[in-house]
Amino acid sequence: MSRDASVLRAGALLCVIVILAAIGAPWLPLDPNRVDLGSVLEAPSRAHWMGTDGLGRDVLSRLAHGARVSLGVGVGTAAIALLIGLPLGALAGYRGGWWDAIVSRAIEAVLCFPALLLALALLSVAPGWLSHLPETARLALALGLVAWTPTARYLRAEFRRLKSSEAVLAARAAGAGGWRIALRHLLPQGIAPVLVTLAFGAAAASLAEASLSFIGIGVAPPTASWGQMLGEATRHMERAWWLALFPGAALFVTVYGFNRLAEGLRDWLDPRPVLR
Amino acid sequence: MTRAARRAVSAAVTLALVSVVVFALASTLPGGDEEDENDRPLPPDYLAAVRAQFHLDEPWHLRYARWIGDLSHGDLGVSLREKRPVSSILRERLPVSLALNAAALCAIVLLAVPLGIAGAWRPASRPDRLLALGTTALYAVPVFWAALLLQWVFAVRLGWLPLFGFAGETLVDRAAHLILPVACLTYGGLAYVSRFVRTAIVEGTTGEGGRVARARGVGPLRFLLVHGLRQAAIPLLTLAGFLIPRLVGGSLLIEEIFGVPGLGSLMFQSVLARDLPVVLALTLLSGTVTLVAMTGADVLAAWVDPRSRRVT
Repeated sequence: MSRDASVLRAGALLCVIVILAAIGAPWLPLDPNRVDLGSVLEAPSRAHWMGTDGLGRDVLSRLAHGARVSLGVGVGTAAIALLIGLPLGALAGYRGGWWDAIVSRAIEAVLCFPALLLALALLSVAPGWLSHLPETARLALALGLVAWTPTARYLRAEFRRLKSSEAVLAARAAGAGGWRIALRHLLPQGIAPVLVTLAFGAAAASLAEASLSFIGIGVAPPTASWGQMLGEATRHMERAWWLALFPGAALFVTVYGFNRLAEGLRDWLDPRPVLR
Repeated sequence: MTRAARRAVSAAVTLALVSVVVFALASTLPGGDEEDENDRPLPPDYLAAVRAQFHLDEPWHLRYARWIGDLSHGDLGVSLREKRPVSSILRERLPVSLALNAAALCAIVLLAVPLGIAGAWRPASRPDRLLALGTTALYAVPVFWAALLLQWVFAVRLGWLPLFGFAGETLVDRAAHLILPVACLTYGGLAYVSRFVRTAIVEGTTGEGGRVARARGVGPLRFLLVHGLRQAAIPLLTLAGFLIPRLVGGSLLIEEIFGVPGLGSLMFQSVLARDLPVVLALTLLSGTVTLVAMTGADVLAAWVDPRSRRVT
């Protein structure tokens, strides 16, 4: 069975579309925050391809700028999850014993923790050093602090499995130290499932950002975010379908793209035919 | 038996740790409601009385010790927002969330298990691929967007179902209020659960044992259900460990959007109002359910599977 990269390609394509929108946003002709009370709630037209919102702002421009927030939080959260989860998972899997017990309890504690409280603490009343960070980074931090558990769990399992493999035995016999075995022999072999969880995690983080902004504790207005645009859309539900349709579709494409990317990576890295 | 006891102790330690962090974190948030309903500042002597009643001027570690002391008598404290015992609030809200989430879980299982079996019938065939494509697409639909669209179609345009709320005199009326929230909570889980069932069955039927059973002349449907599902028992237990915690905490957004007075919307409102006793009680409740479900799934899996018994 040859490796099938079609799912991977489809996911990557969708992600690239969103990335291009985020990169291109500043070059769009219309300012996302320019209020124009003369053209409120206009349906899609040639002047405004996706219509205007309740303050006359251009939906397309806001959508493209929202892509920056969504991608920034998604990728940022995945990076923080990697930064925390990689060392902890490696430590727990390689050392075992007390280290394993401590990391496992920490994972359970995070699973029980009310993430909403953490998000609120870091966003609304950030301590001094945090308030200098841009909002996107603070959101990514709040989400990343609870999103590292899958990374740690998978890496722990991989390290446990590989630790007793013959390759590691051979490396040890050749005189390699613990660090060298962990970095040069275990990590390259065990990183595959971690990459998959990171792509899934980025999708989940984009969704979480939208959810928080939707209920009003994520990105603060006037910064454009898809969740916040959808929150505004609820107020104009009967009159302005375009306000609900486009941000939701953009969010769907992003989440679907990241998820397909993750699935594609998994299929590609682990080409057992029955699992496809 | 000692193993189960050890897990119980470690779960209790974990919960204590979580409650300390919640307490410390919530104490750093600046005080909540110092205005009345019309945003006028409350009289200072009233505020002082409330502060004294709830010991709000003490440092947080003293208040934590007090809270633990009360908890050991089974007292969850008094809600700052509603000025009545937390336990009576929970008693009102818990059945609502349980009904909503149990209905959603039943719907997920009733739809996803047949879908998973259908996919496993001919792995990698066209129907299997279409099912996977459809359910993964549904999985990526943001739940609040779906809620918005469903509300727009079924409540605003067609007027078939209520838009909002959970009230209702008759059973039919109550059920009607549940339909849209349950639909929103169901569709996203289909991909995960059906894929889980499908993979478990496929792995169970393609192995050595599967080939032997086929050679013995076991019919295809019986083969799939009896041999496949038995192999799938352990992964399904793990899955149940993940799904059961959703019974108490899995529906925050949906409860907020549809105005369902359950535990999710209680958590949201209490966090916003810095109502610490309620937030702590909810954390304990959902944390306990999460840990019990996870531990229970592990223990049951070990009991079902002789291999894992020998290892641990």
